[in-house]
Amino acid sequence: MFSLRKEKTTKISIVFISLLALLLLLTACGQTESLSDKNTTDPSNGENSVSDATNNEESAKEQVVKDAMGHEVKIPAHPQRIIASYLEDPLVALGVKPVAQWSVGNGQTVQDYLQTELQGIPTINYDLPPEEVMSFSPDLIVIGSESLVQNGLYEKYAKIAPTYVLGDEISNDWRKTLLKLGELLNQSDAAEKMLQDYDQKVKEAKEKLQNAIGEKSVAVLWLTQKQFYMVDETRSSGAVLYGDLGLNPPNLVTELSEEAKATWNPVSLEKLAELNADYIFLVNSDKAQGDITLNDPIWQGIPAVKAGHVYEMSTSSSWLYSGLIANEKIIEDVLKTLVK
Amino acid sequence: MEPLHFNSREQRRKIRGITVLSVFVLLIIIMFAISMNTGYIRLSPLDVIRTLVGVGTERQEVILFDFRLPRIVISVLVGVGLGVSGCILQSLSRNGLADPGILGINAGAGLMVVLFVAFFSTNAKAPVLFLPFLALVGAGLSAALVYTLAYKRNEGLSPTRLVLSGVAVTAGISAAMIVLTLKLDPQNYQFVTVWLVGRIWGANWTFVLALLPWLLLLLPYVFYKAKVLDVLNLGEQIATGLGTAVEKERLGLLVASVALAGSCVAVGGGIGFVGLIGPHLARRLVGPQHEFLLPASALIGGFLLIAADTLARWIMQPYEIPTGIVVAVIGAPYFLYLLAKSQT
Repeated sequence: MFSLRKEKTTKISIVFISLLALLLLLTACGQTESLSDKNTTDPSNGENSVSDATNNEESAKEQVVKDAMGHEVKIPAHPQRIIASYLEDPLVALGVKPVAQWSVGNGQTVQDYLQTELQGIPTINYDLPPEEVMSFSPDLIVIGSESLVQNGLYEKYAKIAPTYVLGDEISNDWRKTLLKLGELLNQSDAAEKMLQDYDQKVKEAKEKLQNAIGEKSVAVLWLTQKQFYMVDETRSSGAVLYGDLGLNPPNLVTELSEEAKATWNPVSLEKLAELNADYIFLVNSDKAQGDITLNDPIWQGIPAVKAGHVYEMSTSSSWLYSGLIANEKIIEDVLKTLVK
Repeated sequence: MEPLHFNSREQRRKIRGITVLSVFVLLIIIMFAISMNTGYIRLSPLDVIRTLVGVGTERQEVILFDFRLPRIVISVLVGVGLGVSGCILQSLSRNGLADPGILGINAGAGLMVVLFVAFFSTNAKAPVLFLPFLALVGAGLSAALVYTLAYKRNEGLSPTRLVLSGVAVTAGISAAMIVLTLKLDPQNYQFVTVWLVGRIWGANWTFVLALLPWLLLLLPYVFYKAKVLDVLNLGEQIATGLGTAVEKERLGLLVASVALAGSCVAVGGGIGFVGLIGPHLARRLVGPQHEFLLPASALIGGFLLIAADTLARWIMQPYEIPTGIVVAVIGAPYFLYLLAKSQT
């Protein structure tokens, strides 16, 4: 029963689409001159000014690539309406604005640290309900993790627009993510240059920090809903501080990372009493509720707190996230506080 | 030839039965239409009709046929399956509180689903078609467990013990599901917790294909056994006296009920209460004769679920509340009312 109906609708659809295609072809023919001018002289696509020179060499054409799940995806040459939820960091770094941005709670929570670039861009719920995605009429959808397209969701997105799944292996590594997105958007060279610039920044920051605090240890804590969390050594701000900048992690971080599964792992206040970090970076999400946990005597008794070496990072900072822009801001924050 | 003075009562009963069935078929059709119209993207009824006929835009077709229709179809099918399953269970155990969810059948099926999701991707077609079968196995195992726990040599199957052991087994298995997920597949943790509540998670045509054969196979068998169910309702001794092979028939029907519930749950999540409320309402409307009770349970179950699903998708747009929650909101008060009534 279903196939019959589909056959009939497919036939009619084909007629409509071919008429439409013919119309478009006729219109396009008359405008080929101005179109090619647009491409070379006016990088209005929101592409980075850095990549101006390189862009003319990279012929921006449609690519057919295989994503992490083996799907064949036809990436359009100049995607104008991208939805890449939770991947806005690398997008913005590459100078591309999405047509909708990641949010939780119907727009309540967004990535604050990116809002200067993303201002005015409507939000879409993080679990990407198919109809909501369709309402934005995207021409390219990029998804970070395979787990987001389970249960037949991939087919639904693929019906709306070419859908590329990065896969956990790539999306858990911000450098790989940036490079892959650069590849998809014909900006590989720009992406690589950005990574080189980042590494240079890291090198300089590392030196300054070595001079400023030497071998002292630094902890990163997140306080939310009266519970403390400690960052995993290899993720988010942990990766930046311990991995890139080479700062020393305190005792608890190394313990946690062995059995940790999440980016942020809960730590009880009693356990924190054993923290031997010299400096603490605290992301305080309870500030609005009065953060009474910070009045607890156990917290006050931690050596770093007693010495007044607790630096509060605002919740609109990038310390909870990971990405080129997020990491650069974290490095700035660290330098500002530790290098006097 | 039936004696004349029985005719009018029989006739009345039959007319009533057919009327109720027709009304619910109509209600389902209407709900179908309303459901097609519900969704984040506004489609006018005219657009819906045009797309159904074949002159809608490609975008409208995708919305209706790929996004909405599979889910609506699944909700009706699952409602039908669960309604019939609950009807059989209630009749067999002669216990108005029996329902696949309460008796641990949903949980058993769910455990299998969780294991499946942990080890297979749900994007490949072939494994998904096996899902109802796996769920059936799980459902069967937990049903057997509940049965063994509740059966006492001299007393048979006491209703209270049945419900109690069912609740215990459900709780135990649900806990096991959560622990297993944390160990095997933490990414899917949210999936399991939502599944336990009951949500139409497999909403594409593959899942419809996976479920349909089971319904097409089991429903005719069950309807065929309507008279047997009537006889079994009279009690074991009477039934045997009337020539029914009680144990054999009971086992067959029990297996059918578990299979129906298992396959529906595999596709629709751990939705409880449908198998409870459907048969109850049906019994009130058409009486205890199974020739009408079974189809009525099916239709009322189907209507209940499609209505709950539409409501779940509409109430807090663009979010979707898991369907199981809406069903529970309707079901729990009704359940309590039943308990209260049975005590007075």
